[in-house]
Amino acid sequence: MKQDTAAKLMIISSVLFFGLALSLGLLAALKFIVPTVGEIEYLSLPRVRMLHTNVNLYAWLLQANMGILFWILPRILHTKLFSEKLGVATGILYNLTLLAGAVCILLGKVQNVEYGELPLGIDLFVIICWVMFSINVFGTVATRKVKYLYVTVWYTLGAVIWTTFVYITGNIITVMPEVTGINQANLSWFFVHNAVGLIFTPMGVAIAYYLIPEQLNTPIYSHKLSMIGFWVISFVYVWTGAHHMIHGPISPWLQTVSIIFSFSLIIPVMAVITNFFGTFANAPRATRMDGPIPKLLMMGTIYYIFTCLQGPFQAIRAVNEITSKTDWVVGHAHMALFGAFSYYAMAGIYYVAPKLTGRKLYSKKLGDLHFWIMTIASIPFFAVLWISGVIQGFAWLNPENTFVQTLAALKHAHVMRFITGIGISAGYMLFLYNVLQTFFGKYADEVDVETISE
Amino acid sequence: MKLDVEKSLILTALGAFIIFSIGAVVTTVIPPLVDETLWTAGEREIHEYTEQELRGIDIYKSQGCVYCHTQQIRQLASDQRRYGGRLVDAPASEAWEYVNDKDHFVGTKRTGPDLARVGGKYSSEWHWAHFKDPRNMGEKFESPNGAYQSASIMPSYKFLSDAEIKDLTAYIQTLGRNKNWRKDADGNELNDYEK
Repeated sequence: MKQDTAAKLMIISSVLFFGLALSLGLLAALKFIVPTVGEIEYLSLPRVRMLHTNVNLYAWLLQANMGILFWILPRILHTKLFSEKLGVATGILYNLTLLAGAVCILLGKVQNVEYGELPLGIDLFVIICWVMFSINVFGTVATRKVKYLYVTVWYTLGAVIWTTFVYITGNIITVMPEVTGINQANLSWFFVHNAVGLIFTPMGVAIAYYLIPEQLNTPIYSHKLSMIGFWVISFVYVWTGAHHMIHGPISPWLQTVSIIFSFSLIIPVMAVITNFFGTFANAPRATRMDGPIPKLLMMGTIYYIFTCLQGPFQAIRAVNEITSKTDWVVGHAHMALFGAFSYYAMAGIYYVAPKLTGRKLYSKKLGDLHFWIMTIASIPFFAVLWISGVIQGFAWLNPENTFVQTLAALKHAHVMRFITGIGISAGYMLFLYNVLQTFFGKYADEVDVETISE
Repeated sequence: MKLDVEKSLILTALGAFIIFSIGAVVTTVIPPLVDETLWTAGEREIHEYTEQELRGIDIYKSQGCVYCHTQQIRQLASDQRRYGGRLVDAPASEAWEYVNDKDHFVGTKRTGPDLARVGGKYSSEWHWAHFKDPRNMGEKFESPNGAYQSASIMPSYKFLSDAEIKDLTAYIQTLGRNKNWRKDADGNELNDYEK
């Protein structure tokens, strides 16, 4: 089978799914302004929300990351992908599984786990796909032609191992009949938090650790910081699940543990960010501004700082009292998954797509325009969610305000969220056009293939 | 011999796993072992769901109510006052109250109000009208929300069958009843969930 078919398959399908996820987000945002839009069971607000998160997480971001890593891993390890056929099979099975899962969600056949709504049968297929992906990762690392494992490989290995346990806990163990009530809530938030922290963070960071030095043509700033970042995050992240229930009905000691570790996350995050910015600072100015890739990487890193500074502080009890359960949290989640890791994934796709087709990116200018539109729309998008979250949090403190009054106060924020959402989607359309042109369009070919040296 | 983790697939993978598993075990396996209220109500009396209420739970789950409505009164004065009755604050939720919930609806987001103590607060007729048309309640039921009722952004559930709305309402009327907290002006307990 032709080299890199798996990467190509997964990247193209993930980009298409990204569009679906954004449309669902827009529909949900519209329903916040005009709740009578699309008033049928299959498109009721909660169903749209479930589909929006699942398509984003699994069909877009995870798939894009897997596709990009299928291309990156062989390059750093100086070998072929362990099995191209297995990779392609992973891609096909994964997409079919997710399409079936999307239908289940629309029909309301769901599990009661946030981010894990896909029903049990679908979960089993996701796990099969994940095992197939893991075999390819381990196989490629085992058959490598270099001695040392680069940081990207550590994070990929970590993601593969951690995700297996996190996913099984969240999707299989939580729905066992013996697991009820708050015990179940604890396990499902272990899953929710670590799905972001130990699946998307390590995969996103892995990609950034490859792309930043490669794209800027500058060695990574500090090897020691890479090590600190990796080993501390693998210890610290997993403890934080209970911070979703601060002040809530779970053992206070567990809340305190989760707060302490949430706060400690500043250490690995700052190590990673110092490392990325250090590399940026050392790079020649021309490469820093060259096309959409370094811009997306830089902005992704900036969003990563913001989201990872919010996290520790909003876990503190006093701050949590205001921000928890409000739109603030929605802003925080979008910042991590859209702001930081989708930006890294888009940078990765802009980097890998031309290499896959053996010619230059269709248009750097269009890529820049995509970056600017998306960024200028997403900053107010996040900000408006935080502002409305804080308004909501303080409004709830006053018992004189009825609940619908506090909701009426957020009307402007909901309108703003929809408008900025349109801006983000417009940016996406340019991204889609650019990527599809690069893969399938007709324009002057220039050879730019990176073959694997053995 | 120098131990060089970065050269070894096995050491990197094993190290990442072991370090991760410490936190994983302490935060998932240990809590139910040291705090039995996570899985048993002990001596306390606790509501057993009827067939109808269980059907209601399935509808609650499949319609995704939890994405907008939490079910937890936090240990905060603002929560206890807001979700309390006219004369009494709602008591904070405790872990043992949930042990019969095969699906927990504790939730993370309050686009709508918390429902942990909503059982018995509104009549079943009110719920019926509200599910059918959440923005047209003011005329039928007098409430301090009156003028603001149209600001509600709750989706209408008119696509549910009458039987389904009854099941769902039956479940909602049980919420909060594990703590018998509602009292009338004389301090007598109001056990009026069946309305």
